[in-house]
Amino acid sequence: MTCAGLNPMPQARTFRRDPDDVMRLARMGCNHPTRLSFLRQLLRRMQSEGWGFDRPVWDIDAQGVGRAVYRAIGPVRTYSLVAFAHDLPDDQRSDRVIATAWDATFALFDGTPDADDLDRLAANVPLQEAGRVTPNELSLSRANRSVRLFDHVVESLARGQQPNADMLLETGYLMRTTAVYGSGKFGAADRAAIVERPEMRAPFQAEMLSVWLTRSFTVDLVEHLARARGGANAVRLAPELKRGLGVGNSTGLGMAPFLIRHPVLLNNWMVAREEALARVRAQEAVGEAEFAGFLAALRAAQENALLWASAHPIQRAKLSDLRDGLARTMAHVTERWDRYATHPWDNLWRWGQTSLPLEGQEALLAAMLEPHGDLIDGLGDCMDADEEAHFPIDGAMRVGDLRATLRTHYAWALDVDYTAHEHSARFWYISEDKLEPRLGERFDEPGAECELPLDTGRQAAALWRALEGKPGDMPVAHLLLAHPEHRPALRRAQITGRHPFAEIRDNLIAADMLPIDLLRCKLAFFGATRFDPRSDRWVRISLFQGAPYPEMMTGRVQDA
Amino acid sequence: MPDCTAVEMHEATQVLHLSLSEIGALSLRAIRGAGRTWGEAEEGAAAACWLARAGLDWANALIGILSRPASAPGCPLRAGMAIADSSGLSDGASHRGQRFSELCHPGFLLPFCAYAAARSGQTLRLNWKGATAVIAPGEAPTMTGDMDAVGPLAVRLEPHASTGTARSCWPRVHLGTVEPGQYAALNALMLRITVPTSADSLAGAGARGSDND
Repeated sequence: MTCAGLNPMPQARTFRRDPDDVMRLARMGCNHPTRLSFLRQLLRRMQSEGWGFDRPVWDIDAQGVGRAVYRAIGPVRTYSLVAFAHDLPDDQRSDRVIATAWDATFALFDGTPDADDLDRLAANVPLQEAGRVTPNELSLSRANRSVRLFDHVVESLARGQQPNADMLLETGYLMRTTAVYGSGKFGAADRAAIVERPEMRAPFQAEMLSVWLTRSFTVDLVEHLARARGGANAVRLAPELKRGLGVGNSTGLGMAPFLIRHPVLLNNWMVAREEALARVRAQEAVGEAEFAGFLAALRAAQENALLWASAHPIQRAKLSDLRDGLARTMAHVTERWDRYATHPWDNLWRWGQTSLPLEGQEALLAAMLEPHGDLIDGLGDCMDADEEAHFPIDGAMRVGDLRATLRTHYAWALDVDYTAHEHSARFWYISEDKLEPRLGERFDEPGAECELPLDTGRQAAALWRALEGKPGDMPVAHLLLAHPEHRPALRRAQITGRHPFAEIRDNLIAADMLPIDLLRCKLAFFGATRFDPRSDRWVRISLFQGAPYPEMMTGRVQDA
Repeated sequence: MPDCTAVEMHEATQVLHLSLSEIGALSLRAIRGAGRTWGEAEEGAAAACWLARAGLDWANALIGILSRPASAPGCPLRAGMAIADSSGLSDGASHRGQRFSELCHPGFLLPFCAYAAARSGQTLRLNWKGATAVIAPGEAPTMTGDMDAVGPLAVRLEPHASTGTARSCWPRVHLGTVEPGQYAALNALMLRITVPTSADSLAGAGARGSDND
């Protein structure tokens, strides 16, 4: 949807950033979660609407094998996480999508499942991609134990002791999901089937709910196993340790093309966040509560940056930038920032633009949004997209207007020499084994003839060249009759003309393109923390670390 | 005369139910796998989803269309794209009407005509021997006769004065059916654009090493 008609702050317009600045991979690869992130939206809604939660089924044996059901009961509808716990030999445990067995498998059921539903799911969910679910299911997922920590926690609790807090902090989760499929995958309900529900309208709410309930399952499972092992000596996990645990997630290239394939959705995510920043920058004064909230957010970001570890050289450098940037920001804010001047937030933002590395700038953005819930939370309603409505090509557009659109939004792409190896070194393809997106080396590996149309810059440049010599008043419908091969680029150009944040303004087949930048951007919108790349194309992250558990959600509690 | 391929019908022992997103993804890749451009693949996949929602035999039409070269006359995918693209032009098919002497799987034009009706604000009538569809802007179509006809058939598209008795909304259906033979045929086309994952790519994706940390 467009939120233009709902915008109560037209004065924020002059504070918006330019898409040429925002939509670059280097900056997108520095994105941080904000209060508009999807898991934050889910938790806020459940808190404000007073959702109830229970666990009607817990049928897990002493070896940790069996099934459980967790329900989230909203004002109109109920959703149930159906969990299957398995006995997985250590040598079969792999985080990657190539795996065929897992420690636990899950489906998010639409409603409350009966015995027949559970039996049907038991026959399919453990198989994951090799099984089938139905439109009664909203997501399909699996998770593996973080074995070293999982075993340590079970052993400690069984002995009546709390686990080592440093170990918990270091890993941050008991299980990692390795795929969370939604939106019609493997027979599940299509997004269109649930998008009219207010609680499902923001992106990825079903998937976020599934992961959040999975977090409860992981803690229940270690406590169950500790009781089975330690009997009366066993203790439960201390609340402060429990709250610090999230759910890990391991993800890779399969997720990367999403942002390119859903340009209107990407635009709406970006526009909501950019509008939020602009609204804060447009404030003429800093309230005391906002100042205190901002300082608290900065401190929390500093603590998070200290606990955030990675062995990957790229991420280590970025972490160094982040810690340095946050320290400089804190010093500036407490020692030099004149928060009584006009437009103090804008002054601070402008200081950051000239004084901080990209990591620090984007962290400052997240901290500035944090104390402004009343001002910006409504923008969460603008982050979905009716993609079908924006799909058709407008054949009546004139070539002259298309040229102008390309000049305005694709200048970054038009003058690149795509015959040079470094500018077309990669190609995206679908893997034969898992039917997942992968990235190949064009000049070293076979398969470039099967390339996916993710070479957005190269396609835009080819379209630009095809317009040479064409009359400006020629309808593009006539161009397409002669050159159907330019259809995808023309469609993207029209979408970007209407949605300036729809296109990533970088060459996605360049030798130096980092897929993890795409992942970081998307995962930040999810609300992920502890972004930890294991190569340039797969990462581990944490979700819901520090967030409340279902039993803490009764009534209005502190915002997550 | 176009040779409209009627897909060999397998015994419907077990009809498969696919979500619309699965139909879209499978169709996109199958169309590209059949050698069509990515632009045709995008349009054809969207059309397949539309037909599935309307309860029509999207898979049979798609397989029939893809069994013939794109340049062969009578392709409803190409014809449909041209109808949709010209719908905002004063000389477009939605204003002036259009006749096709021989068109295969004419029902495949329906999604494109639906867009043309919405874009031009003009109710359209599409008919061929024994079948008529009336498509009012933004409404579900009214269909009589064999919408899954294989052809080739003479087809007429024309502006229509009345909105007739069009249903006010789509059925709330978000899945489509496909027979096993059709599913296998589309999968075979899809596999033509897949690539074996290289050892380097697997390693970079984390396939090497243990995750027992």
